[in-house]
Amino acid sequence: MHIHKYEKWWLTFGAATLIAFLTIIGISAFHAGAHPNNSKWTIDYEKVDQTAPFDNPGVHKVEGKDWDYEVVLVASAFSYNPMEIELPVGSKVRFIATTKDVIHGFEVAGTNINMMLEPGYVSELITTVDKVGEFTIVCNEYCGMGHAMMYSTLKVVDSDDNSSH
Amino acid sequence: MANHKKTTEDNLKGTLYATFGIGIIIIIVWAICFNLFIDRF
Repeated sequence: MHIHKYEKWWLTFGAATLIAFLTIIGISAFHAGAHPNNSKWTIDYEKVDQTAPFDNPGVHKVEGKDWDYEVVLVASAFSYNPMEIELPVGSKVRFIATTKDVIHGFEVAGTNINMMLEPGYVSELITTVDKVGEFTIVCNEYCGMGHAMMYSTLKVVDSDDNSSH
Repeated sequence: MANHKKTTEDNLKGTLYATFGIGIIIIIVWAICFNLFIDRF
């Protein structure tokens, strides 16, 4: 079968872009962890407050793990617990979050932290907070009348400033 | 009206330009969008 050289060029171009984009999606998903919650960790959403680690929400320093801090967070209509998260710059953090009622979002605006919180499931994300600043955490899943008022704050502070307080 | 009948060569060349032109624009727009997520935690 004869294929004209122009046809060969655009077929090659099309196939190459397809392979390139699929490779990027694969790397983003499997290496960089950009994917929906894997739904492996489940929880009774009516007993979130009594279930570890959500019986003690907040920022916890941990030892002997691959990360320095664990942020345990509970979302409910229309607020987050804790209301404010403070972390020293450069620390590796594991965010562990769930919801007590409907689907909520956990997006730290201006960063790549973005999770969907579904009732009955625990969402996790590990990242290194490497920029000092105050970031607004917003709910990006419509959750009801108070959705627009549902926010919290992530403060990434300089370690030296932190120790002086 | 003059009859500008396209040859097979013309059609193939037009398709080639369209494929590469639109393809490159898509790649550039995609790269600009992807760049928004780079260099932030």
